[in-house]
Amino acid sequence: MAIKRLFVANRGEIALRIVRAAQALNIETVVAVSDADRDTAAARQADRVVVLGPASAAKSYLDPRLIVHAAKESGCDGLHPGYGFLSERAILPRLCAEYGIAFVGPEPDVIDELGDKLRARAMAKAAGVPLVPGSDCVATAADARREGDRIGYPVLLKASAGGGGRGMVIANNGDEAEAGFHRASAEAVAAFGDGTLFMERFVPQARHVEVQLMGDGHGQVIHFGERDCSVQRRYQKLIEEAPCAAMPDHLRAKLHQSAVDLAASVSYRNAGTAEFLFDVQREEFYFIEVNARIQVEHPVSELISGFDLVQEQIRIAGGAPLSVAQADVVLSGHAIECRINAEDVHRDFLPSPGRITRWEPPTGPGIRLDSHMATGAMIPPFYDSMVGKLIVHGTDRLDAIAKLADAIDRFVVAGVPTTLELHRAIIAHPDFVANRIHTRWLEQVFLPGFGRKAA
Amino acid sequence: MTAPKDSAAQAIDDARALLETFLSSGWDEMHVVSGGTEIFLAQPRGGSNPMRMAPPVAAATPLPAVATPVAGPQFEVKAPHVATLVSVLAVGTQVAAGQGIATVRVLDEESELTASAAGTIVAVAAAPGDLLDYAAPVASIVEAA
Repeated sequence: MAIKRLFVANRGEIALRIVRAAQALNIETVVAVSDADRDTAAARQADRVVVLGPASAAKSYLDPRLIVHAAKESGCDGLHPGYGFLSERAILPRLCAEYGIAFVGPEPDVIDELGDKLRARAMAKAAGVPLVPGSDCVATAADARREGDRIGYPVLLKASAGGGGRGMVIANNGDEAEAGFHRASAEAVAAFGDGTLFMERFVPQARHVEVQLMGDGHGQVIHFGERDCSVQRRYQKLIEEAPCAAMPDHLRAKLHQSAVDLAASVSYRNAGTAEFLFDVQREEFYFIEVNARIQVEHPVSELISGFDLVQEQIRIAGGAPLSVAQADVVLSGHAIECRINAEDVHRDFLPSPGRITRWEPPTGPGIRLDSHMATGAMIPPFYDSMVGKLIVHGTDRLDAIAKLADAIDRFVVAGVPTTLELHRAIIAHPDFVANRIHTRWLEQVFLPGFGRKAA
Repeated sequence: MTAPKDSAAQAIDDARALLETFLSSGWDEMHVVSGGTEIFLAQPRGGSNPMRMAPPVAAATPLPAVATPVAGPQFEVKAPHVATLVSVLAVGTQVAAGQGIATVRVLDEESELTASAAGTIVAVAAAPGDLLDYAAPVASIVEAA
């Protein structure tokens, strides 16, 4: 049954995005806030606001019982978790089901399966999705050499019991694999009391690519192309693009099919993203994980497809079938998004909460801003520091870069430092323009030079 | 829809939330300046307090005084989180310190709100069945003289 009143269990730009999507579908909205978020854009825009608890996320946005109680008692028949917070915790859809509320997301069992790395890998393998080539347990140095030769160098030797990089060694040839076995095994015994190792191909220069999926929960799954999110710092994405311009067409079709097959194998319902490591040199991709929610970077896929993904996930949660067939999803142009954080890039990205004294974003054709900020708005210190996402759509990648540069130049923000200046410098860098980037590019190549110039 | 809180209660809540944020952050130190309030938090490994090193400044604006009724100080019992009010004692009821004055419910779990001091209920701000916001007032109590 179609949702009539939607509970928004999130904050910031995504709460506002969900409220607007619901309003476009003539659905009433109730926004849940913490004490620190009473006066936010989403709260003002919603039909009703419920204050869950104090500013602390653990006592507000992260308490599933308070959230489902507030949704039920405010007469909501649907609940959207956004991203982050409880969006991928099965307890939330389980409570929703118990109290008769439609959850905008996958079945709780599917969330559990996809959230378990080993089970997700097994599912991917069963669906024929490529995984990073690797070994079973490696017992001796001779085994390590034999497995390394088979997998292809460089390889990573990893402790089975490991984590945090301990007991991890990179080997570039057979001799290093044998020597590395002894070192990694000894480290693993010292750190974990268990010297068992396994091996995996190491991709020194990988891209992060991901496929935007939408499933109806009955086995129908379509995709909206792929994104390239290789500009990362400490595994946090800073810039996302669609499509991945570095991917050859024959591989792109295979990538999309792998992602669709994987989601269809669990009759996936909702928007989801299958993430892959793309080895540009070898022209191979390997499955990483599935994110069972709408993602921060969904707007780049919306811009190249002209399709509203948040509205679609709300419709599907209300029992509707997919409103578009794969053949009707037409992708055009190139989109780039930059995440604007209130951080001081010259002080090791120190989060800088405070009040925005001037907020004058650019407007124009092909420019989209997803933000809950305005002049006078407050960024509380309790949550993440993202203040918005600036997204542009151009005819091709270079056109999009030019549009983004112009948009950033016209963006006036005062009161708190933001990462806009950093984004402006990244997209002007010759490596970014020539699309010679990889997941370690920002930290290894760009930031050291950026720091020197700024100092 | 949302009840404004007095500034002293707000400041305490904010400080508590800041402390929780700090403790779960792994940061060495945290320095917040907002309006007339300045807070510095540090782990033993963190830096020294910049407020101590600064030259002495005029005392912060005193908090607004709470009006004191003749019968003794008045306080409010508030919702500790979002919850549905199940029942509340009537105006005029005399209560002991620690006594339950209202019952609230979250899903199928009920809990009691208690009076922090003995006194008389002089106002009730919500009705059974109401969905209470966090910090919404439930009842006002005048402390026994």
